[in-house]
This record gives sequence, C-alpha cells and structure tokens, in this order.
Amino acid sequence: MVFDVMVGNKACAWGVKLSRVKVMSAFPVTPQTTITEYLSQFVADGEIDGEFVNAEGELATQAIVKASERAGARSFVCCSGPGQLYMHHPMHGTSSGRLPVVMATVHRGNKSMQPDHTDLMSQMWTGWIQWYVENNQEVLDSVIMAYKTAEDKRVRLPIALGYDGYILSYTAEPVEIPDQKDVDEFLPPYEAIPSILPQPGVPQASRGMGGMGGGRDPQGAWKTHHEAVVNSKSVIKEVNDAFGKKFGRKYGNGLIEEYRTEGAEAVIVAMGTIASTSKAAIDKLWDEHKPVGLIKLRTFVPFPTEDFQSIGKRVHAIGMIDRNCCLGLGGAGFQNIRDTLYDLSDRPKILGFYAGLSGAEVRVADIVKMADKTLKAARGEKIDSIIEWPLLGTVSGEE
Amino acid sequence: MSERITLQEIPLEELTIVPGSACQGCGPALASRLTFKVLGPNTIRHSVPCCPDAVTRTPGQGAEFEAGGNALTGTWRALKAIGRTDINVVGFFGDGGTYDIGLQALSAAAERNENVFVICKDNEAYMNTGNQRSSSTPLYALTTTTPLGIKSRGKDTPKKNVPMIFAAHGIPYVATTSIAFPTDLVAKVAYGKGIQGFKMLIIHAPCPTGWRFEPNMTIQVARLAVQTGAFPLYEIINGQKFKLNYKPKELRPVGEYLKAQGRFRHMTDAETGIVQQMTTSYWQKLLKMDEAGEVLF
Repeated sequence: MVFDVMVGNKACAWGVKLSRVKVMSAFPVTPQTTITEYLSQFVADGEIDGEFVNAEGELATQAIVKASERAGARSFVCCSGPGQLYMHHPMHGTSSGRLPVVMATVHRGNKSMQPDHTDLMSQMWTGWIQWYVENNQEVLDSVIMAYKTAEDKRVRLPIALGYDGYILSYTAEPVEIPDQKDVDEFLPPYEAIPSILPQPGVPQASRGMGGMGGGRDPQGAWKTHHEAVVNSKSVIKEVNDAFGKKFGRKYGNGLIEEYRTEGAEAVIVAMGTIASTSKAAIDKLWDEHKPVGLIKLRTFVPFPTEDFQSIGKRVHAIGMIDRNCCLGLGGAGFQNIRDTLYDLSDRPKILGFYAGLSGAEVRVADIVKMADKTLKAARGEKIDSIIEWPLLGTVSGEE
Repeated sequence: MSERITLQEIPLEELTIVPGSACQGCGPALASRLTFKVLGPNTIRHSVPCCPDAVTRTPGQGAEFEAGGNALTGTWRALKAIGRTDINVVGFFGDGGTYDIGLQALSAAAERNENVFVICKDNEAYMNTGNQRSSSTPLYALTTTTPLGIKSRGKDTPKKNVPMIFAAHGIPYVATTSIAFPTDLVAKVAYGKGIQGFKMLIIHAPCPTGWRFEPNMTIQVARLAVQTGAFPLYEIINGQKFKLNYKPKELRPVGEYLKAQGRFRHMTDAETGIVQQMTTSYWQKLLKMDEAGEVLF
C-alpha cells in the first residue's frame, strides 16, 4: 500500500495503469490535458504495456477506442468540455455496440473554461453509464471499478467518469495507490464478446455500411439497450461492495452515498466536488441542531430511482443542487428527482438550486443557506420559490 | 513496386458475396470481388456508409462515416497490443468516406503510419444517397447537386487529387488502379497486403446508374478512362518512387470517354477541349515523373 500526493489527472492515469489498459487515445484539452501526458510517460517508461494513440481530435479518439475495444483490447479515452461535445457521434456507436470503454470527463462547462457538469450532461441520451465523483481517491478507485462494472457480462456498457476540472484535475490530494496484485485479482483480463478476429475454418460474414441498419429488430434494440442501462444498478452496487471488501474503501452504495441522513427532516442532494463541500455544511447544520442530511448523487445514469423513493418516504423536503442547466427544462437532477417521487402518495417538497455553473464557487456558507431553505420547506414554512439561482452574479473567487 | 501477374493467377476463392445491394453492372461490386480474393479470409474489413453495401466472408468492423481512419487505427493498435499482427486491417470505403468526410481521419492515420490498408472504390459521387457530387466528381459532370441549368454546366471544379495528397504524407504505398485492369488491381492489392505501414489504393469503379450508361458497358467505360488519361494508373512508394503502370504510345481522345456517359453528354466541343487540355497537361507531368522514376513537385 503506497500513499502519494497527486492531482486528479494523475490519479486518473494511475487508475488506467493499474487497470492494465491496452489502448488509450486522447486529444489534449484543458483541463484534461495532463492525463494525456501522464499516460504517454507511463507508456514511454514501459510502465503501461499498451498503445497510446495521439489522435487528431476527440471524435477520432472515441472512434479509435470503439474499434480497439471491439477488437479485444481494454481501452480508455478522456476528454473535457468542448471535446466531450465534439465526441458525441461515435459515443452512440460505442454504447450501441455494448462496448465497455471507460472514459474520464474532466468537467468544463459549455459556456466557459470553468467547470460545471453541462459537458457530460449533454451526453445524457448516448446510452452511457454516468458517474460523478468527488475527490482524487475516488477518481483512481472509480476507474478500476468502472472497468469491473462495464465488463460484467450483465452490463457490457461504456462508463463515463466525470470529475470537476481544476478543482480536482489540477489540485493535489493524498491518494492511496492500490497494489497491482490486488487490482489484478479484482479485475480479470478483458475479453471481447463476440470476438471479431478471423477464425480459421469458421464461416464468417459481414455486411456493412458503417454498422448501420439496426439488425432484425431495430426498435427492440432501443428497449434492450435501455433495460441494460437500468439493470446495471445492481451490478454497480455489487462492484462497489466487492471493491470495499478488497480495498477497504467504498462509495455509498455505488449509486448514492448518504451522509448524516439518520433522523434528518430534510436532505440536500449534490454531485461531484459540491458534495464534498456539502459534508462540511451538513456538519455545521447538525452542530446547530438543524437535522439536514446529504445525498451524494454518484450514479446519474441510470438514475437511482429506488434509492430516492426510499429517501422520499423518510424526509419532508429534498433540495437538489444542480451544477447544470438543461436549457428550457431546468436542472437535470431536480427534474429526475421530481419525476422519481411523483408516484409516492406522501411526497416530500422538492426544491431546486442552480449553483456552481461556469465554475462559480460554492462555499460552505452557500450550501448552509440552501439547506436552511430546504429545512424550512420540510417544516411547512412558506418559501418564496421552488427553484432559485442563489449564487447568481457571484464570480469565482469573489467575496 | 507491384509485380505483374496473369489472369490465371487471380485466386478462385470468392470472398465477396455478390451482389449485396449492387445494381446491374456495378463497378464497385467488381472492385470488392477482386480485392477480397487477394486479401483472403484473415482480414477484418472496415466499412463506412458507401455504395453498394458490400458483403464479404470476413469479420467486419463498422465505423461512423467520418471515422474510417480512426476505426482502422483502433483495430490495428488493439491487434498490436494483443499480439495478433498477422491479421490484415483493411478499410473498404467509397470516395465520400475517403475524399471528403473521412479525409481528416485518414490523413491522421497516414501521418501516424498505422499498419492499415485503405482501399477506395471511387465512383466519383455520393451514389448511396442517389448521386450527389463529391470532391471526386470530375469537371462538368452532372449530378443531382450539380445539375444542368441556365446558370450551371455541371460540376465547376475538377476532381480532387487524393492519391497525390497521400503521396505527400510520405506513406509506404499509394496507387491507383481500375476494375478494367484486373491484373493491375490484383497485383497492387497483393503488394499492399505484403508491406508494413499505411497503404492506399484508389480503384476507379464506374457506376452505370449515376454516370448514366448501359450496365453492360461498365468495363468499357472504365477502360476508356484509363486509355484516355482521364484516370491514369500509377504507384508511388514512400511518397517518392513513381511508376506509371499503363503507358500507351498515344492517349485516346478524352471525348471518347466523356461521350460514353450521360453525365457528360451536355458538354460542348469547347468544354471537351478544356478537359482534353487538362488531361494532356497532367499526363505530360506523369510521363516526366515516370521517366525520372520519382514524384516531382
């Protein structure tokens, strides 16, 4: 067991190395860039026995790993912000092909260089599993867990691992590096199913216009794919537990993590690094005898419906902090939670807060305010509006 | 350079299941048939949207239209990483996937010198969507997006010189061939198959439906393209060594090739004269390069 102090991008590269990835492809983009440098150095030093493809753009990187994964090599790709958007087209092919590629998305918002979750949220319909993680240890651990989950025969779907740019990518934290031997025991070698390698003596045929056509039941393919994403929830939980047993760390139940929710009248929900900051806010609130808990929403796709229904029965209000805005529709987390709880006969109040978009700083005091409002709603007090932009006009770093 | 072979040496085994979605007289279907005979079954064929929808007795890897060069890269690097470098990694694309939407990915793969073989069946327009112009469409050719009208004489720019663009990448092998010259075609596929690095072969493959001629004329039209110098056959090694593979004492007039096709039938004598002048002047350049044995830029 080794500890090191490393930035999020290095933790990510370590996760890739420990997972014995065979093909990696990336195009540098701030704030993802240094992952490409760490991986290139690992390959140059012989520490990763694989191929790093310096591709000509993110669309290319996704198309490359889609092909390499299908040809039988565990593959990794990473991107950020505009690169994530540019990559959109082949992402559909990777997931439709049920190829367990793992991708790191180092968040950079669609309206600035600074982080928010709009880059990965814009890929909501691509059929990828989406995780949002909160610190550098979780980045490293989640790369390994992602391969284990994605390659599970019950799942066979690609996983996108989102972490906030700058706040994690370029900030150093102590990270425990698992033993390679333990990772090898946890994560067996990858096998492509089915193999596309030529088999001597076995008749094979392919027809092809870029894999289009949809097979015999093109509409059924949507249903099958959708069900596979929904059903991955149990495997995500299972892998999280197994990881916990092997390495002594796990992340809630894999889908969500509850923090001081016991006896809480209300909960706030946060993702990524805002969830980290929220823990300090929750401690402060309990110190002031304000019973508010935190739900860290880790797996956004598939949405942890059952978990939220169970929470919805226990608390009187839920305040969702969205670091995204689905323009014209609202916060993605807020919408999903309301949708999920609609069928409960006794629904809690559901509040929405937009915070941290375009990298706006979200401080402990800000979260305390949002939690206070949620607690008021839980206690039946009158609140001004269900949805608000509490930090509007604040610029990152300004008091 | 490729070595000449006889017709008898072309393998009998069929790896292309004809017709796929091909029309009668389909040039690209014949290109597929000849090509995969030589490549053999230890091949992964990569495809992008193209016409016709090829069907081969090999495993296949589909790619997005723009991503042919990327898919080839991914497969080759994976095979390298898992130790299966014996497998041929082949792209069988159309001119849209090669000259236009796929050019960036192919240029990038060429620059990285990936060990892949790109074979383009060039029918000089987007035939899959019903004959819209591509950058491979020749000057004056009528397509549904370069129609004849009071303000239009057909396509107003000449065919993009893609083989020379790839020669400028300095790749190990780039060649042109035609379905009307099967021994030349087969020899070039065999040569490309046998060498390491990025290889590109452009096969001139007429489309009776799009070019508007009778399906039984495909080979003759293809042959005239070469005999008139409209589509010269050559090969280039490492972007330097040059060889003209079909060199008649005298070229036939380009009008013979143009008149055989409906897409050029509107052309005036003056317009034919312009094409003749361009063709002759480029041919002179190729003769000079052939004499020197190298690409002269």
